[in-house]
Amino acid sequence: CRAGPSSLPGQDPPGWRAPVDCVRANELCAAEPSCSSRYRTLRQCLAGRDRNTMLANKECQAALEVLQGSPLYDCRCKRAMKKELQCLQIYWSIHLGLTEGEEFYEASPYEPVTSRLSDIFRLASIFSGMDPTANSKSNHCLDAAKACNLNDNCKRLRSGYISTCSKEISAAEHCSRRKCHKALRQFFDRVPSEYTYRLLFCSCKDQACAERRRQTIVPSCSYEDKEKPNCLDLRSTCRTDHLCRSRLADFHSNCQASPQAQTGCPGDNYQACLGSYAGLIGFDVTPNYVDASTAGITVSPWCSCKGSGNLEEECEKFLRDFTENPCLRNAIQAFGNGTDVSPSV
Amino acid sequence: GRAKRARARHKPCTLRQLEVSVSELGLGYESDETVLFRYCSGTCDAAVRSYDLSLRSMRSSRRIRKEKVRARPCCRPLAYDDNVSFLDAYNRYYTVNELSAKECGCV
Repeated sequence: CRAGPSSLPGQDPPGWRAPVDCVRANELCAAEPSCSSRYRTLRQCLAGRDRNTMLANKECQAALEVLQGSPLYDCRCKRAMKKELQCLQIYWSIHLGLTEGEEFYEASPYEPVTSRLSDIFRLASIFSGMDPTANSKSNHCLDAAKACNLNDNCKRLRSGYISTCSKEISAAEHCSRRKCHKALRQFFDRVPSEYTYRLLFCSCKDQACAERRRQTIVPSCSYEDKEKPNCLDLRSTCRTDHLCRSRLADFHSNCQASPQAQTGCPGDNYQACLGSYAGLIGFDVTPNYVDASTAGITVSPWCSCKGSGNLEEECEKFLRDFTENPCLRNAIQAFGNGTDVSPSV
Repeated sequence: GRAKRARARHKPCTLRQLEVSVSELGLGYESDETVLFRYCSGTCDAAVRSYDLSLRSMRSSRRIRKEKVRARPCCRPLAYDDNVSFLDAYNRYYTVNELSAKECGCV
């Protein structure tokens, strides 16, 4: 209990450290001459150098050690926060120095998700036709489009990405993928998840419904390409971009198959997994349904493990986190069925 | 009864809305997707200007004879809603602009 004469708003007692975002942590550091000079040193160390060259330098190493005790060390970012990119740049400026940089899974720079799917269902119960048992002939993906069209914000941003992603540029260029991805990110960042998840994870009994679900992200522009790159090359490209790297790390933290958990998901949290899956849409690693089949759900980024050489195993492991991931599959099915597990804690 | 219906017909010009399927719009698209269609409806009696009264007078005195004129204000959209996009029955996306009214007025 923090109640007491000294706990005025914004004046926490000494020793109590609130979780702070990296933009704020950077401000706190800037106000302290010793912290700000070390942080400046570290940024210069990291600029254009790899970790090993950096650590060979005594000054760089000392700066990193001092910063591990500052609020910058355990700061996090929020999805779709103001200055998200700035926050992530600050996060990685410290953490790229701390990790090997070549790890298979990286820690997520985002705050842990505490909300649950049941919170979304409670919000969504105001919609008509949310009950999945209502009508065997009903098309849930069509109902999801209706719910979105009847909400001004959802309709505006959905029409925004659809028109951008289906606008032909020239005979040679079928669409502007860069603009399409940006519009998709705006849709998934700014529209509440009770609308976006319904469009993305609707459950289907026939092929017309499953095809509509596959078409949600306008895959001809945002997903498919002339050639399928190697998945590890795709991961490397993603890791050169702070936003993409962060979203991928977040996906790996929240959707990693956990055989010991009842649901197969870390902390039995479906919401966190679906949120970080949706967070990948609009980046190089954009995932989608691979076909319009109603029986089994298979999602994958647009890549394959051809040409992996001696890294074939690592490539397959990366790809299986999408294609054969029990956590992700259970989470998508649970959302479609309107079921959730109560937190095990 | 009749009086009530008559009153309903004489409501002033406002924005109203209907939930309709894209196919029902009559634009030639085939899609079961539902969109919100907002339209302008109501009377403009309160918006009659000296212009309308004088125009009527010119017409009844047959100073204006062969031309088509409108001597009363009309309830129409002043602004249109944002674009609306939808997927049709053949899995093609379309975007329609100026489909729905955003603001109505007597013009």
